[in-house]
Amino acid sequence: MAEAEMEKITTIDPETEFLASKRKNGNEWETFKENVRPLKRGRNVNLLNHALNSHTDNQLKKSLVQQRSKLIQAIQEYQGDDPLLPWIQCIKWVQEAFPPGGDSSGLVVIYEQCVRAFWHSERYKDDLRYLKVWLEYADNCFDADVIYAFLDANGIGKPHSIFYISYALHLESKNKFKAANQMLELGISRNAQPIEKLKAAYRQFFARSMARPIAIDDSVEKLAPTRSFGTVLAKGENRAPLSILNSNRDPSAKNDRTRAAPLSIYKDSADTGDTDPHKPDPSHSWHTLGARADRNKENNAIPGKWKSYKVPQRPGTRVGGATPSAFIPVFVDEECQDSQSKKAEGCKSSSLKIRQEDDKELKRETELLRKNPLRNFPQNSLPR
Amino acid sequence: MAARTVAKDIITLRGSAAIVSEFFGYAANSILYNRGVYPEESFVKVKKYGLPMLLTEDEGVKSFLANLTAQLSEWLEAGKLQRVVLVIMSKATSEVLERWNFSIETDSEVVEKGVSREKSDKEIMREIQAIMRQIASSITYLPCLDEPCVFDVLAYTDKDVAVPFTWVESDPKLIANPQMVKLHSFDTKIHKVDTLVSYKNDEWDEQ
Repeated sequence: MAEAEMEKITTIDPETEFLASKRKNGNEWETFKENVRPLKRGRNVNLLNHALNSHTDNQLKKSLVQQRSKLIQAIQEYQGDDPLLPWIQCIKWVQEAFPPGGDSSGLVVIYEQCVRAFWHSERYKDDLRYLKVWLEYADNCFDADVIYAFLDANGIGKPHSIFYISYALHLESKNKFKAANQMLELGISRNAQPIEKLKAAYRQFFARSMARPIAIDDSVEKLAPTRSFGTVLAKGENRAPLSILNSNRDPSAKNDRTRAAPLSIYKDSADTGDTDPHKPDPSHSWHTLGARADRNKENNAIPGKWKSYKVPQRPGTRVGGATPSAFIPVFVDEECQDSQSKKAEGCKSSSLKIRQEDDKELKRETELLRKNPLRNFPQNSLPR
Repeated sequence: MAARTVAKDIITLRGSAAIVSEFFGYAANSILYNRGVYPEESFVKVKKYGLPMLLTEDEGVKSFLANLTAQLSEWLEAGKLQRVVLVIMSKATSEVLERWNFSIETDSEVVEKGVSREKSDKEIMREIQAIMRQIASSITYLPCLDEPCVFDVLAYTDKDVAVPFTWVESDPKLIANPQMVKLHSFDTKIHKVDTLVSYKNDEWDEQ
């Protein structure tokens, strides 16, 4: 009997075990749900709750910032054989520990410094983790065109279907349907893995293309990006009833929204254009100019002595002073240079180090990177 | 000082089974809407549990859920239902992405002796309301379902239960190393329902 009982316990599924253990998750995630940015891969609820408590606990907030500094330090001190690993650990931790995302998390700066550290490395060109950092960086920028062009030009992420799918979705969002189609076809021709996922994405793209009422040709594509004002949700016809014997309920038949047709511009037929918009309307003209005092009311202020007025000085600004972001070039002795070059590729140059910036500086840098994601890359590395 | 008495409602086994099965119908609709399994335009807004709830207008899903809740009600009345799990899977690969687990404890005395219990409807409604709010809030930690998905419903029953021909034996469709979050529970004093969601926490090196 005891043996059978033991057997039962060992084969218990994790959910039953979790419920039986009476473990609690905490409900901060529910209280602060507006302050959480959903993550593609999902979140660890215990970490999320811990991070959300920092909204009310300043000590906790400080400890999170300190922990971030430690992880950044760990990147610089890493001696192992996978220099990308500490970057990934740092990114994942920051994503979890700063749920609202935003500029003060420093995430965009970390993404940028991570991708810049390895962009020339042959070892990481085909690494899925590295590609995912690039794609998340692209998601956080105002215009990802430049990033996708850079990845394409440098052959980063070529063997992975996720690159072609993401690039195609980006192109599709900009109404470049032909280019999106070509990108998916390119991925299939290169046999990017997993190929099933890529083919499924291509089928969905094709279905969306068929649902589009008006084919947009290349000449239209090359024009300025179009703007859509709201979304028109088309209500599809009811599908044939599903049998209860069908164990899977499949919504895909209805899952694609049809694209809104172009707006028709309303023209008022009542107005035949008799009125000239440039002719002055006599009903609103000035018949009198008013008294002199009325006309000169701006000049009523009595002039005073200038001697008593001090021009306010702007504190801290000096012409020709060093800007906070400027670096002093470090002289390296020729003898030391040889030994320096032999260091592992994971060691970053001083410009790659994540500076322990204050919030304002971090926000400024984030804003600049969002506008120009490759601003810190060498000019010759950028796609022409 | 006037004493205030809380009105208690008599709850029978049949009444409790109806409450729980109806709850499951609304919870399933809410999950399908909030997780984007079906497009949002295929849902219609109704008021239930003092909240705006969304119900599918898709005839196929409607009839599936109606048949399901009727069957669950029957099993609940017999005290034979232990757990109901709504599983969300990838359409392309059939990989299990999420499991919404509704675990049911039944008061055996009520089933055997036919006695009734007391609990106010308002209190039960408040408890259900809390679960529905949590289902809607769960997007804060659940992964984005960025591929077409299908859903399935698993019922864990006693071994001696008669299985209708519309149901088939199934594997448990578990997730390896899942993240799990326990949501609120509700209790009719006859059936206690614990809610839990488990999900696949995607890693960076996974396709």
